[in-house]
Order: sequence, then structure tokens, then C-alpha cells
Amino acid sequence: MRVALFVPCYVDQFYPHVAIAALAVLERLGVSVEVPDGAACCGQPPANAGYAKQAQSTLDRFVDQYQRYDRVIVLSGSCAVHVKRHAGARVAECTTEFCCYLHDEIGVARVAALGASFNKRVAVHIGCHGLRGLGLAKPSELQAAPFDKVRVLLDAIRGVDVAELSRVDECCGFGGSFAVGEPDVSTKMGRDRLRDYRTHEAQAVVSTDMSCVMHLDGIARREQIGLPMYHIAELIAGTAASR
Amino acid sequence: MSARDAILGAVRAARPPAVVAPATRPAAASDQSLLIDCFAVAATAAGAVVTRCAANDIAIHVPTSAPRVLSAVPGIPSTVAIPDDPRALADLTLFVCQAALGVAENGGVWVATNDAWYRAALFLAERVVIVLAESTIVSDLHEAYTRIDIRATSFGAFVAGPSKTADIEQALVIGAHGPNELTLIVVA
Amino acid sequence: MTQRSLELPVLHSRRVDHAAAAATFTRDVPRTDWHDDALWFVREKRDRAAATVADWEALRQQASSIKEHALSHLDEYLEQFEAQAVRNGMHVHWARDADEHNRIVHDVLEQAGARRMVKSKSMLTEECGLNPYLQSRGIEVIDTDLGERIVQLREEGPSHIVMPAIHLKREEVGDTFHEHLGTPAGLADPIALTRAAREHLRAKFLAADATLTGMNFAIAETGGFVVCTNEGNADLGMSLAPVHIASVGIEKVIPRAEDLPVFLRLLARSATGQALTVYTTHVHGPREGQALHVILVDNGRSRQLAREEFWTSLKCIRCGACMNTCPVYRRSGGHSYGSTVPGPIGSVLTPGLDLERYASLPFASTLCGSCTAVCPVKIDLDAQLYRWRQRVTQAGLSSTTKSVASKAGAQLLTRPRLFRLAGAFARFGLRRMPSRVIRLAAGPWAKTRDLPSAPSESFRSWYRHNRSAAGES
Repeated sequence: MRVALFVPCYVDQFYPHVAIAALAVLERLGVSVEVPDGAACCGQPPANAGYAKQAQSTLDRFVDQYQRYDRVIVLSGSCAVHVKRHAGARVAECTTEFCCYLHDEIGVARVAALGASFNKRVAVHIGCHGLRGLGLAKPSELQAAPFDKVRVLLDAIRGVDVAELSRVDECCGFGGSFAVGEPDVSTKMGRDRLRDYRTHEAQAVVSTDMSCVMHLDGIARREQIGLPMYHIAELIAGTAASR
Repeated sequence: MSARDAILGAVRAARPPAVVAPATRPAAASDQSLLIDCFAVAATAAGAVVTRCAANDIAIHVPTSAPRVLSAVPGIPSTVAIPDDPRALADLTLFVCQAALGVAENGGVWVATNDAWYRAALFLAERVVIVLAESTIVSDLHEAYTRIDIRATSFGAFVAGPSKTADIEQALVIGAHGPNELTLIVVA
Repeated sequence: MTQRSLELPVLHSRRVDHAAAAATFTRDVPRTDWHDDALWFVREKRDRAAATVADWEALRQQASSIKEHALSHLDEYLEQFEAQAVRNGMHVHWARDADEHNRIVHDVLEQAGARRMVKSKSMLTEECGLNPYLQSRGIEVIDTDLGERIVQLREEGPSHIVMPAIHLKREEVGDTFHEHLGTPAGLADPIALTRAAREHLRAKFLAADATLTGMNFAIAETGGFVVCTNEGNADLGMSLAPVHIASVGIEKVIPRAEDLPVFLRLLARSATGQALTVYTTHVHGPREGQALHVILVDNGRSRQLAREEFWTSLKCIRCGACMNTCPVYRRSGGHSYGSTVPGPIGSVLTPGLDLERYASLPFASTLCGSCTAVCPVKIDLDAQLYRWRQRVTQAGLSSTTKSVASKAGAQLLTRPRLFRLAGAFARFGLRRMPSRVIRLAAGPWAKTRDLPSAPSESFRSWYRHNRSAAGES
């Protein structure tokens, strides 16, 4: 089985440490991962901004690059959803997100065996596309048996204390072009999430999507709220505390 | 071309490929003894006062001190006459009537009539008392609709509690434009 | 033969700028929090109510299927409804658009010599601009839903389709009632204010020559309709007025009586968290001596039906759950959408009426998908918002800067080498430029957010130096 890791454009440029951590985790789990070079982006940002037609060539390039793989692990919920919804059948089928892959195909026992620890109270933010688009957890709106793949993975990390929030899965307000097109509501939404985290005494934020983090962390740093933020891969890799 | 023809023509041209109607859900079987309690809880949550009694004791539970009473229930006397113009019931204090059935999941009762005065009294009276037999309480609305014929009368309503509103700052106010109080007498 | 085309009327009217309206709204932070909390509270009530229905998700699916079936046979069900309604003693009229609807209402009132009309909630009549049309012709129109009456007295539109005055504080209502109903200055207690409204409106009900209601559902099989209220206002109108006009959008027709419980079990729970509204009134004929007129209104609905990507938005049963859950609606208020129906469903229904005017609405969203998850009839709202965005840009209605930036961005993302170069350049800039300059260049983002700190090396560069095997491309 040929497995590839797709590192989203903004993670590649601004959060390489997250990709390094994710790669380390996969390698330690015994997954032989390739990171091909030829496609930088899945095309989601312009597509969501209304330029799906212009972004088609970007997506085509992605498909071209990744269609030879049996499994494409995407380090972002929103990118994974975009590919699964808009790419051709084979690539869509083979594409999965990092947490989904760990939970569904590796299994939490093997992740726990990595022996990661993180002794902090954390607020968890599952990006909306990963949550409602990929089924990373039961969305709060849905009347169904509860499940939370991210929580299962976090429970496999020693010392993690997950904060119960007032609003379990409200959107952070990033929304791609929304962040600049509707900056006031976007910022307000981000501030409200941060307030929820602080009210529940979170010492760190753990997310499945660095795009959400880029927005929340951007606000936190501007307002000098000392709340470090990580991708869950960093906790599993054990690289979070040292950053 | 008439508006009717234009609209129907536009709809015919526009309509998407046929979607098959889903199969009807079978009505759920239910334990009658539990239903009455369930109904009482739901009706109370909706703001109604729920009283259970034997058939002979209905009159005891109807407030007799009300000055202007109109009753559609045998054995409960009216103190006003049925008017020709329903507007004459504007200052009605109490209206007593019957429901054909009750619905456990929402505490609603089915009141239906062709009579203009009956319908008006149900909304004009300050207080309303509705009598229903406990044997007519069904589990949910699916079951209710198998028992009623909504076309049989020009008016029929599920009544679930006294009138209310939360339109001012979400503050719940019991008694909006319709009755301020609803009492349900569930008869064994 | 069906014509499943995408027809977009582009009327040159003043554009709604949701972002600008939202900027004004959010400036009052405590008020934004108050509005947001009020609506979130309703969302939570909805969650609790939904949890009491064991087969909630199956019920949603059934409701969705019934609606899709009905819409795909809409002409047949409309004809059946008309025939049965006439059999029940109703007069049935058809209106192609808002103007025709308003003229029909006026004609009916004229012929009956009616000068005073009481109205219960009907978003359709808001859409048609009925009130000003009648008022300019000397007809007194009183909105009797308490929330609607409040905004009517204030000469505002409703900000929510179920809770029209959700944007107002009790003191503001108190001021309005003091000015128009003579309640004591400073009286802000909701109970006292409601009692004052009750008295005021009771007089209107008794004096009304006519009443106009909407319909929550029109039933083809039986030729009747259902009106749901908590206040009893629709019923007071219907029980007393000699003329009853009932207006309905053509998409509201459902096939059979036995379909009603599916929708009724979903509607109030989705809207306010109640198991059922206080009154679920079924009308199958006029009162004795009363004239009952039904008006079936198109006003753009058949055009929406023809849109393959958007027709399922017509399943909407007007519960408002999408508004209550939408994090953007809660923080910008209904008025910021500039449309009769705001929020996610408004942003999917309204662009079809005037794409240029409402071009900003599909972008008033993060596409979080919460609306789709609460919709009782499973409209894929977030997917339709995405599709409307494509229509807006293809029609050339995006702002020039956005258009240029996005197209350039798309080009960049397709060319990995160019992207890497741009990324390296950006990171270099971030590390070396003064923060003032960075903030300027970064535009709206940097007004309230810091940019990410810039690593010296991209992941790809790190991978090449630390991992990459020869021959990989």
C-alpha cells in the first residue's frame, strides 16, 4: 500500500513543525510515507471564495500527483473535505485526514503505545469541515450516539486534561476568505472561542486544523493572551512542549 | 394567459425529476397507562393545569365562580347564551368544551367544530377548560392523525396550553392574545 | 420536457453590504453578546427538544423526502389543492408576483368594503410589501403577532422570521409602547407590556373587517391549510372577521393529511424548542357567513424550482433554526442581510431574486455547516452557499480586489515552484519588515490578528534536506 502525506500550502510555509511532527508520528507508527513534491495546494481557498473554476487546475494537479497512492493523508480537515467532495472518485475515496487515519486505520492502541504525554488542560477545537464534513466527532446538532475520534486520540496521551467548553463545537470564525471579507464577525467569533477557552481554564488549545489555529492564534497573540496552540500531531509526537 | 395557467406552466417546465414519496411510518405501539402520565407532564410543561377525575366529578373541577360562562359540555351549565355574533363573547370569562383526543408527546388536545361561537369562545375566553377521556390519549401525532378527520369540520386545532409569547426579550409570558389559563380535565 | 436552466435576473438595485452592516452591529460588543446569547439559548432549547424524539434524524429524512416528492410533482398538488379547496367553499386566486398578490388582496377587501384588516405572521406578505401597498390605499393594517406589532410600531422590519423583535431590549419595547399605546414611561416589564398589547389588539380583533393569515402548510388531499401560533392571534382574526384571506407561497403545498405529523413534530421543536405550538389550527372551510380567499403566490418560486443546484431550498418550512445556530447571524442580526428572510436560508433563497443586490449574502458565512445539520428538512445549506458563490463570481459581481487577488492566488497555487518562491518571499518579508508595514500589507487580516511567525524553512525544504529519496518528484 502506497501512502502519501499531503501538507497543505499554509502548513508547508508557516507551520512546518506541524508537518514534521505528523511525519514523525506516522513513521514511528511504522507507516512508510511519501511526501511528493509536485502539488502545493488542493485548491480549496479560491474555490470556497467562489473561484472553483479557476481553482480546477490546482485540484487537477493535486489529483495528478496523488492518484498513484492508495492512501492520501491530508494534514487538514478542510482540505480533506474539499478533495473528497470535488476530486475524482479514486482520489476522493483514498483521501483521509490525519486524525481519521490514526483513529480508523492505525487504532488508538498503537497511538497510545507511542507513549506521548502532555500535562496540560487543553481546549479542543475540531475544525468545522473535519467535524461535520468528515465525521471526526458527532456534531452537537445531530441526534445520534456520541463519538469523538479526536478525544479518543487525546485520551491516549498521558496527562491530557480536556476542558469542557460552554459551546462544544462553535465555529472559530476563520472561514478562509471570510476572515478578510467579514473581518468584524470573524474576529468576534475568534474572540468568543478564546473567551470560552479561558473561562474553562484551558492552558493550551489543540486543533485538527492549522487554518483555525492561524486565526485563533493570530487574535490571541495580538491581544497578548498567553494561550499556546498546537496541532494534535505535535502532542502525539511529543514536540509540543519543547516549541 | 391567466395567472393560474402561467404559474402551472412555469412549474411544469421547472420541476425536477420525480422523487418517489417515502413509505408511511407505521404508528408506534404504546402502553396506555404510561401515556396518561406522559400526557400530563407534557401538558403541564406547556403551561396547562391537568386534573384527573371520574366522569361524575367533572363539575367539581370547573370553577363555578366565573361570572360569564359558556359551556359545550353536558352537565356544566352556561351563564350566557350562545350569540349570533361571536364578537359578543369578547368578555367571556370561562369556556368549557370537549376534546376528541389528547397527544402524549406534546400535551396537545384536538378540538374541532363547525360552530362559529365555539371556535371564537376558545380564543376569546379568559380561561378555558377542556374535558377529555383518558382512553383517547394517543402516543404521538402520527397516531393522532390516524384517528381524526381534519376535513370533517371547518375548524380543528391541537391546543397545547394557554396562549403565550416570548417576543419581548425571550421572557415567557403566559396569556398573550388568547386565553390566560387552560385547564385539562382528564376523565377516567 | 423540463427546462432545468439557471436563470438569474440581474436587476440593478442597491447592493446589500452584509459585512458593512455587520461591522456596525458588532461595534456594540455587549449588545452583540446579548443578541448572540439570546439566539444560542434558542438553539439549545432546540437541541433538548430534538433529543426527546427517538427517531429525530429519521424524521428529518422523511420530511425531506416528502418535500422533494411534493416539489417534483408541484403542479399536480397545486391543482389538487385548488380543486379540494374550492369544494370546501374557498375562493382560490393565483398571483404570479408580489404586485399581483397585493392587487388581489386589495380587490377582495374593496369588494367586501373592508377598511380595517388584522394580520397574523406571514413572511410572504413581507416579501410582497403588502402593508405599505394597502396602507397607501387607505386600509388600516395591524400586525397582530406581538413581535410583528412591535416592529410595525417602530417602522422596522422583523429581524427573525419566528422572533421578529429578538433584536430589541425590553426598554426599547417599553419606549415604543409608551409612545404608541400610552403605557407609563419607563415600564419595561414583559408581562405588563404584553397585557397592554393584549388589550390594544383585542380591540383591533373585534373591530376588524378582514383578516389575513399565512399558511404553514397547505394540504393538497384535503384542500385545507394549517396555521401555527403560540399567541392565538391568527385564530382571533379568523374566528371573528367576516373576510379571511390566506396567502401562501406555492412551495408550501404538501400531499396528504398524514404527512402533517412528520412536519409538525419537527417544526416547533426546531423553531423554539417546544413540542408543539400552542395552536395548530386546521382550516377546511369558511366560518358560517364568512368569505375565505386563498392566494397561491409564485413570486420567483418557479424560477428557483428550475435551478438544479438550488431547488431544494424550497423545502424550507420557515422554522428559523438555521438562524439560531448560525454564528454569523447571531453576531450580525437579521437586518444586516437586507432581505425578508435572513440568515442561511435567506442567503440561499434571496440571491435568486436579484443576484447583484444580494451578492454579499452567500459570503456571510464560514461554511461551518451547522445550519445544514439543524435544518428539519435537510436542505444542504452550506453546499448551496458554496454554489451561489460560484454564481456570484461568474456573473462578475465580486469586488475587483477580491477577484484579482483570488484569481492570482489560484494561479499561484497551481504552480508549485512559483508558490514556493512566493512563500519564501512572504516568510522573508515577515521576518525582516517592520510590523507596521506588515500590517498594512496584510490588510483586514492584520487589523485584529497577528500574522503567523515566519519559519526560516518551509516543510518541503526541510523534507528535501532531511528525508527526500532521489527520484521523487
